[in-house]
Amino acid sequence: MAVLQVIDLHKSFGTGSDRLEVLKGIDLSIERGELVALMGPSGCGKSTLLNIIGGLLAADSGTIILQEREYGLKGPSSVVDVRRSKVGWIFQDFHLIEHLSAMDNVVLALEIAGMERDEAEKRAASAIDRVGLSDRADHIPDQLSGGQQQRVAIARAIAGDRPVLLADEPTGNLDISSRQEVLALFKDLCHDSEDPISLLLVTHDPELAAQADRMLLLTDGRTNASDIRSAWNIGGEEE
Amino acid sequence: MSFRQRLRDLPDNLRLAGLSAWRGRERGLAVVAGVFLASLVITTVLAYGVGLSQIFFAESLENEPFDAKIEFSDKPGNNITGRTNDTQIMVNVCSELMERPEIADCSLVFGRQGIHGKGFFNRDFIAAQPLEIKSVTSINGTWQNYDGIYPELLDGGPPISNRRSVRLLGPGAFDGELAERLSKNIINGEGSWPTPEQANSTRAVIIPASVANQANAEVGDVLESITFSVTTDRADITDGLDEDDCQGKLEAAENEFQYCKINMIVTNLTIHGIYEEWDIGNPTLAPNPFFITWTALEDAQRKVLFDNDHVYLGVAIDRTMMPTQSTSEAEDWLEALGTDIESQNYTESGIELFYFDIVGGTITFLNIFLGLIQAFDYIIMIPIVVLSLAVLIYGLVLSLEQRRREIAIHRVIGASSERLRGMILLELAVMSSIAWFAGYLLALNLVPLVLDAVGFMEFRPGEFKVNPTLGWVSTLVTLLATIGLALIFGRGRTRRFLDIEIDEGVRRTTVKREPRVWLHWVMFLIGCLALLESWLESSKVMEDGILTNFFIDGLVLIFGPFLLWIGGALLLARLGALGPKFAEFFFGRTRLLKDVRRGLKGSGSAESVNQLATIMLLTLSIVTLAAVQGYTGTLVDERTASAEVGADLSVTMTVRMNESEMRTFLLGVVSEDSAVEVERNMEMTSVPSILVRENSSNDQIQAFVVLESAEDVLHWDEQAIPGTDIDDVLSDIQSGGFTAGEDAAYDLGLWGSGRRGSDDSSDILLDSGDERSEKLEFVYLELEPINSEDEQQLDLEQMLEDYPFQNNWEGVDSKNENWSERDFGLTNMFGTTWDNVSLAGANLSGSVISNSTFKDVDLTGADLTNTVIAFSQFENVTMDGADLTGMFGFINLSDFSLNGATCPNGLPFGSTSCAVSQIPPPLVATLLGSNTDISYNVTKHEFTSRYLGVHFWIPGQSTSTLNPAIIIGESTWHELVGNDSANNIVSATWYFDLGSFAHDSDGDDLRALRATLEADPMVVSASDWSTAHREVERDGGLIFGTPGLLSLQFVVASVAAVASSFVFLSLVLTQRQKELAILQAIGASPNQIIRLVLFEIIAIVAMSMILGIILGIGLAMSFNGFFSIFGFIFQIFGGSSTPIERELIWPWTQLALVSAAVFAAVLIALLVTTRRTLKADLASVLKGE
Repeated sequence: MAVLQVIDLHKSFGTGSDRLEVLKGIDLSIERGELVALMGPSGCGKSTLLNIIGGLLAADSGTIILQEREYGLKGPSSVVDVRRSKVGWIFQDFHLIEHLSAMDNVVLALEIAGMERDEAEKRAASAIDRVGLSDRADHIPDQLSGGQQQRVAIARAIAGDRPVLLADEPTGNLDISSRQEVLALFKDLCHDSEDPISLLLVTHDPELAAQADRMLLLTDGRTNASDIRSAWNIGGEEE
Repeated sequence: MSFRQRLRDLPDNLRLAGLSAWRGRERGLAVVAGVFLASLVITTVLAYGVGLSQIFFAESLENEPFDAKIEFSDKPGNNITGRTNDTQIMVNVCSELMERPEIADCSLVFGRQGIHGKGFFNRDFIAAQPLEIKSVTSINGTWQNYDGIYPELLDGGPPISNRRSVRLLGPGAFDGELAERLSKNIINGEGSWPTPEQANSTRAVIIPASVANQANAEVGDVLESITFSVTTDRADITDGLDEDDCQGKLEAAENEFQYCKINMIVTNLTIHGIYEEWDIGNPTLAPNPFFITWTALEDAQRKVLFDNDHVYLGVAIDRTMMPTQSTSEAEDWLEALGTDIESQNYTESGIELFYFDIVGGTITFLNIFLGLIQAFDYIIMIPIVVLSLAVLIYGLVLSLEQRRREIAIHRVIGASSERLRGMILLELAVMSSIAWFAGYLLALNLVPLVLDAVGFMEFRPGEFKVNPTLGWVSTLVTLLATIGLALIFGRGRTRRFLDIEIDEGVRRTTVKREPRVWLHWVMFLIGCLALLESWLESSKVMEDGILTNFFIDGLVLIFGPFLLWIGGALLLARLGALGPKFAEFFFGRTRLLKDVRRGLKGSGSAESVNQLATIMLLTLSIVTLAAVQGYTGTLVDERTASAEVGADLSVTMTVRMNESEMRTFLLGVVSEDSAVEVERNMEMTSVPSILVRENSSNDQIQAFVVLESAEDVLHWDEQAIPGTDIDDVLSDIQSGGFTAGEDAAYDLGLWGSGRRGSDDSSDILLDSGDERSEKLEFVYLELEPINSEDEQQLDLEQMLEDYPFQNNWEGVDSKNENWSERDFGLTNMFGTTWDNVSLAGANLSGSVISNSTFKDVDLTGADLTNTVIAFSQFENVTMDGADLTGMFGFINLSDFSLNGATCPNGLPFGSTSCAVSQIPPPLVATLLGSNTDISYNVTKHEFTSRYLGVHFWIPGQSTSTLNPAIIIGESTWHELVGNDSANNIVSATWYFDLGSFAHDSDGDDLRALRATLEADPMVVSASDWSTAHREVERDGGLIFGTPGLLSLQFVVASVAAVASSFVFLSLVLTQRQKELAILQAIGASPNQIIRLVLFEIIAIVAMSMILGIILGIGLAMSFNGFFSIFGFIFQIFGGSSTPIERELIWPWTQLALVSAAVFAAVLIALLVTTRRTLKADLASVLKGE
């Protein structure tokens, strides 16, 4: 059964003659435990799609159904619940709170969602453990490497049992070994036998995309390709 | 790039910089605010100095109607060609002078001799003599007692003359500008300044009010003759003059010259007006003379005056032509005018003139005092200047911080660091120039208002309009201190950014310089030491404080408060920035904060938050300092006026009156318009006193009586009484208690004098259970003089009435005055008080001194023959060399220093035991019958009274009078003197409460009433609260203009607090926009974000505000020593003394209002900026776009 369904999603920016329609009717669905890579040329609307699914941006029309929660047309203030309990975000720049420790960064997200302090700390500890950073839990972001910071961000995203993770170029700022670590972690999370997570990953990295269970190609405002070569306009063959 | 190319590009670059500044106006707001504030404050301080000098100048011009004394160029005899003795020629010279546009009016004057040389300190200036009055005869008034002595002249300046003089004026002085100036001081209802025709026809004389009062003179009185002396010759006292060469009388003067003076008489003059005297300021012309028309002189008399150099031209210059922007410009202008006038010859006779500039002399005196005031005022403005610079620098740092990324990106795309710096600095220059100009303009318009301040946040338009402008040097200073500083700091900061690696700049900021905390601690600790020192010294816990070295003590007291302020602000700001931690501690587990409390962790460490806390601390501490010192000063002024006058109005009459007589008299003086209102509101009281002694002692103590009516009429002060509750003390006194002055407490063996150890004094009201509140038995002896021959009771009152007095000084209170050589012969001195007074060489022969107090009085060489003394107190009185022959009454002469004195029995002191004669002197004897032997019927009254504590004064009476005295209530007094006497109080001095009349038209009505009273011959003296208050406004609690500066400080700091909270919050939140977006991305709702921000910022602001107020309180306390020192100096210069201690007043309401306003502003700023942050496109913010 699909965890996430996106139906006929439209989004454009600007007005009048400057109006640019970025998303022209996106349809996609992601199954539980599926790692899906979303690719496409720069400016094709990958991040826009991710932002709408993640509740940071409102679409012009269409629907998103995430575990029975229907949304998509309302602004960020109206979909706080989606960000709080349905989707976890992982950014290229990690976006950790600088003055909080790794642990506090994770706990804060849980407390904001309404969890009691003890429970939140327990869950955060387990999430940090899961990303392999138990020994760095009290470090502030400045004291962590890029890969470690991204793992904290992942811990923050998974700690709240959110069914879907959205990752926007998660390895863009990482070196090769960190990239491998993060990718391995993603795979582990998605293919967890007990509680698999679905992950929609925006990337320009074909290697990373190649590791995904499935690849979606966004061109001309639609998800109409799953072929990496066409995504990069190599060979000009389109599906 | 060549200079020319730069110049060519400048307009374009400026336009671009302007555009860029406008686009980034939000981040530039802090810089603009900082420069604006700094420009406003610095310009105000500088322009204030200019305005102050203009006011002082304008005011001092009012002190003398004549602007210059134009004399003959040379002394008589030296150069016959340049002089004349023809009145008409000199009148023609006047006319020629008046053709010059600068000369508004001119009159030929006969008066003080020529000086013929510049400067106040040359010998001729001191030597030249006025026409001194010797005697006046009239069938009206009591001119026979008038001797022309004017001792105040010697107090105020060089020893030129100690007598009142005449100034004989020509028709020029009775019309035009001079007449206008001279007529200003004519007292309303006391005649007028005559026209030339009136002056001629009535042979007018215009006399000063104090002389009119002394001689009981009235307008319309005819003076049969005025005799004055003309100085015909002079020589050094060591050389001496030959008596044979002198047609008149040889006189030696205090200025070490010997003069030959002949008398000249003018006859049949009519008093045309009585004028209020000018302050004795510039001594060039003999001050406050009798003005007489010289048409009263005969031709021969004029020639004599010409020949003896007693002639000059009194000139009024057109003051509108004189530059008043600064005193130095005025001095230059006057100098040029004088030189020009002197360079010419006048009329066909070739008269040569010497221009003695009176205005210029005034300026010299002025600048000394002005310099002192400005030094004080500049110092008290340092905090606000520092604050404005702090806002400037912090604003600059914050705004540049926001451009870090932009700068780095510019570098990535290849911009050279020089070009980048140029770009930023040009933008900065454009913004700060606009801000500087706005601040500069506002300040110049604000200064007149600042100078109008008469109290803290109280303004009354001054008499003189000022138009302060700044010279180019001062303007340059404001430019350098604002724009210059902005550019220097901007340059430094920009360079630092440019030095940072591009990569780091693009990504984020990390490098932070650690603040020098140790330095802040050092400053703070020295400041605390100053606070402790100031407190110890003012609270008298340790009068010398901890620092015994005078120099170090002074340094710490002057600079300590500033160090306390800056060090305290920097340290406490760190504490203020911990506000969120406290919020977390208190609210962390509540629903308000539970879900977001973790977001508060570590938030206070951000530099911007720290700066916000520092600015809040700085502003709120200044608000507190200004409010506390401003209010305290204003109140000290009011309390000083209340203590001096005692009530709305106090009047001392020449005769003792009972209440209804006094009421009728006063209502008769009040103008008809106000009589009804005054009658309805008027309450009155007096302060009687009796002599009592404690049962076991022989020493008499004066007991002042607080009547029940005195409770409302007198302006009581909590410093005057024991404890702080006036109602409690007065009610305890009325129920039979008494208070004592420190000396009296010591004499009576009571606690409270402070002379029996440190526990022996405290300003508290003792309750009946207190063991220190002893019950003492007092004795009052009621004495009735009787003639022992026939046992008939003598009526002292009757006796005084029948005594042939020639002067009445009944009830006079004289303090710190010099009455030496005065004639007090046959004077009624009933109920007088003399404190620190010189009566050396005075004539008190035949006078009656009764119920009086003499303290620190010098009677050396006085004539006390046949003086009657009874029921009076003497303390530290010297009678060396005095003549006491025939002195009669009750006084123990063994208490006095009598070296070289003549005893009452006529023998020299030492050869005989000196005691007061028991034989009445002839004048008394005739009243008593020739063979009278006086004795007294003594009735002994005893009363027991409970001691309530130490008092300091009764309103209207000095501390020195009350120090050795006790205060009792009306009921006790009734028991002692009987209801008849008590119910029919007769007193020379009465105090009035006049209700709303006292405050109507800003006290003008009250002042007018006092002036009318003073001119009344029945009145010895009158003082009113409004005048006293206006006098102390200048030199009392705060020096002139300071209330305005403190008000300005208060307003600017309050506005800065509100404005900077807006600007800084906006910047802080903009900086944190990304963090807030992240929080939203991970699930925070708008409500949670608002709560997080509110708690965080409000915790910081509230904490900083509280700490700021605490710091301000400490600052106000540590500054108090500094204010006291300067207050003392100003009082010395201003010549006034006040018993009021500078107790700090805490205006909590005002502080609460400002704090509430700042808090409200912070809330609004927070809501507005947070809402805006929440509305921002989250996706873009997170992308860093």
